[in-house]
Amino acid sequence: MEVVAVTDEPPARDGADEDTTPAEHTAADGGADGTAGAASAGTAATASAGADASHEAAGVTGTPGVLWRTAVGTAQVAAREYRLSVRRRWVVGVTVLFALFSTSLVFLGGSSVGPARTNAVLASFAQVGVYLVPLAALAVGFDTVVGADESGSLEMLLALPLTATSVVVGKYLGRAVALTGGLLAGFAVGGVLLVRYAGVGVLDSYASVALAAVAAGCAFLGVAVLASTLAAEKTHALGAALAAWVWFVLVHDLVALGLVATLDLPSWTVGAAVLLSPADLFRVLVLRTLPTTAGGIAGVLEATSLGGPVLLAALAAWLVLPVAGAVLAFGRRAV
Amino acid sequence: MSEHDIELRDVRKAYGTVTALDGVSMDVDRGETVGLVGRNGAGKTTLFKLLVGHETPDEGAVTVAGRPASAGPAVRERVGYLPEHAGFPPSFTGREVLDFHARVRGIGDRDCMVERVLRTVGLADAADRAVGGYSNGMNRRLGLATALVGDPDVLLLDEPTAGLDPAGVAAFHDVVESLSAETDVTVLVSSHVLPEIERLCDRVAVLDDGRVAVEGDVADLRRTAGDTTSVVATVAGDPGEVAADIAASVSGVAEAAADPPRVRLSVERDVVFDALAALDDTGTVVDVEVTEPGLAAVFRDAVGASDVALAADASGGGGGGRD
Repeated sequence: MEVVAVTDEPPARDGADEDTTPAEHTAADGGADGTAGAASAGTAATASAGADASHEAAGVTGTPGVLWRTAVGTAQVAAREYRLSVRRRWVVGVTVLFALFSTSLVFLGGSSVGPARTNAVLASFAQVGVYLVPLAALAVGFDTVVGADESGSLEMLLALPLTATSVVVGKYLGRAVALTGGLLAGFAVGGVLLVRYAGVGVLDSYASVALAAVAAGCAFLGVAVLASTLAAEKTHALGAALAAWVWFVLVHDLVALGLVATLDLPSWTVGAAVLLSPADLFRVLVLRTLPTTAGGIAGVLEATSLGGPVLLAALAAWLVLPVAGAVLAFGRRAV
Repeated sequence: MSEHDIELRDVRKAYGTVTALDGVSMDVDRGETVGLVGRNGAGKTTLFKLLVGHETPDEGAVTVAGRPASAGPAVRERVGYLPEHAGFPPSFTGREVLDFHARVRGIGDRDCMVERVLRTVGLADAADRAVGGYSNGMNRRLGLATALVGDPDVLLLDEPTAGLDPAGVAAFHDVVESLSAETDVTVLVSSHVLPEIERLCDRVAVLDDGRVAVEGDVADLRRTAGDTTSVVATVAGDPGEVAADIAASVSGVAEAAADPPRVRLSVERDVVFDALAALDDTGTVVDVEVTEPGLAAVFRDAVGASDVALAADASGGGGGGRD
C-alpha cells in the first residue's frame, strides 16, 4: 500500500496552531489504491521510501516544523505560479515592453549628444518609468487571486494541505520573479545600447535604475495582489488596480504638493508624502543618485531629510505590507 | 484514532442572517460511502467546506480522519477533496496538474503516483494534453484524480457529476464504485441525482434547510418507500369522491386519500396506467404527478412535504448518526 502520510502539523488556515503529536498515518492498508494489480506493482516501495526533503523535515512538530512546511509550500506554489506566468507570456510581454522603453530612451536621449548627457537619460528613466513600471506590475498582478478563484483553480489549491500564507505569498513570489525577469531582461537590452554610447562606466548607475524599477514593480505587484484578494470579481480587481495607478502615479503628488502649498505644512510632510507612494520612492531613489533636479515631489526633496536608509526601509515596507494585508484578507475571503 | 472517519456533532453555521447548517450531526465510518442529497442551498457545500477546514462552525464539532477539521492543512493531508467548481490552469497538462498535487503532498515517487491515478480515472492517454482542451467529463475525472493523489483516507466529492453527459456520468460512477469495492476509503458524495446516490452509496442523508431531514441505509430507505408508485392528482371536483371512485374501480390501489385539492394514491406498479385512466375518466383532473418508488419518494417526502410531515421526519431520522 502506498504511503502518503505527512507527519507534521502545518498551521490551520485560520491561524490556529495545533500542537499534537505527529500523525501515525503511516499506511492505510488497501487504501485508495484504485488501480488494481499491475498498475500498483512496485509502487509501494518507491512511494514509501521516496520521501522528499519536505517530508524529511516533517518529523518536526511545533513552530519550526510549521514554518518549514509553510516555506516549502510557498516555494511550491511560487514555482507553479512562475511557470504559469511564463506560459501566459507575461515574462515575454514585460521584456518586450521594457526593451522598447529602455532602448527608446537611450536612443532618443543619448545617441546624438554622447556620454555627457548620460545623467539626463537616466533621469528620463525615472520620469517615464514612473508611469510604466507600476502599470506593468498592476497588469501582471491584478488577477492573481480573484482570477484563480473565478477559474476554480484556487479551490483546487486550497484542497491541498497548504496554508493561506503559502497560497498568497507563493502566488505573489511566482509573479514577482516573472516580473523581475522581464524587467531585467528588458533593461538589459537598453543597457547594451547605453554602454555602446556612454561606456561601461555608466553601468553602476544604470543598474541602480533597473533595481529601483524592480523594487517599485514588486511593491506595485503587492498592491495588485491585495486588490485581487479583496475583489469579488476580476473586473473589480482591474478597476482597483487602475485606480491605484491613477492615485499613485498621477494624483498623489498633486494632492501632496497642493496640501503642502495651501496649508503651509512643514517640510517633513513632503518627505512623508514620498514615503507614502512607491512611485515617488522609485523616482526619488533614481534621481537622488544624479546631479539633476526634476519635477514632481522629488524636485523639492532637497529641503527634506530623506536619507537612503529611510527610503529603502519605506520601500521594504511597501514590499511587505500589501502582501501581508492580502494574506489577512484572504482568510476572510469566501472561496 | 476515532472510530468514525467523519464526525459532525450538532454543527451550526450561519452567514449573516442566513443559516446554512442548523444542528447537523452525522457519522461516517471507515470504508463507507455516504450520499448527501438536498435541494440547492440545503447546506451541502457548506458542510464540505467545514470538513476541509475552509470554514469553521459557529457551534459544534467537526472531526475528519481523527482530527478536528479546524486544523486545516493537517486535515487536508488525509483528505482528497473535489470541490463543486474545480478548475485547472488551461496551459497545464493533466500530468503537470497531478505532479504538482503529488509534490505538495510530499509523495516520493511522484511519477509512479501520477501514472497510477491517471490510469484509475482513465486519463492516461490524455495525460500530456493541455487541460484547456479537456472535455467537461475529463475535467471532472482529473479533479477526481487530484483527490486520489496520496491515497487519502477520506474522499469528499461535491456534486462530482454535475454537468456531465450520460457517458461521463457512467465513467465517473465506475471509478467511484471500484474505489469503494477495492479499497477502504471513506467517501462522502453530494448529488442532486438520486439514482446516482442509490447506485454508489451505502447510506444517505437528506439535508433540508440546514438540517438532516432523513438519514439511513439506502436499502432500508428503499424498503420504507415500498414498491408502490405514488400518484398525486390535483382535481377540480371533490377529492374524497374521486379517491373513493378510484379505490373502488381499480384493483391494486393500496391507498387512496384526499388531500384537498389533491388525491394521493399509492398503486402497484403494473396498475399505474389503469389508475391514470380511471382518474382521467372522472374528468376533473387538473394535474398529475407520478413518483416511482425509491429514494426519490423518500427525498420528496423529506423536503417536499408539509412542515408537519417534515418535522415528523426530522424527529425520526435527523439529529444523530446511525451509529
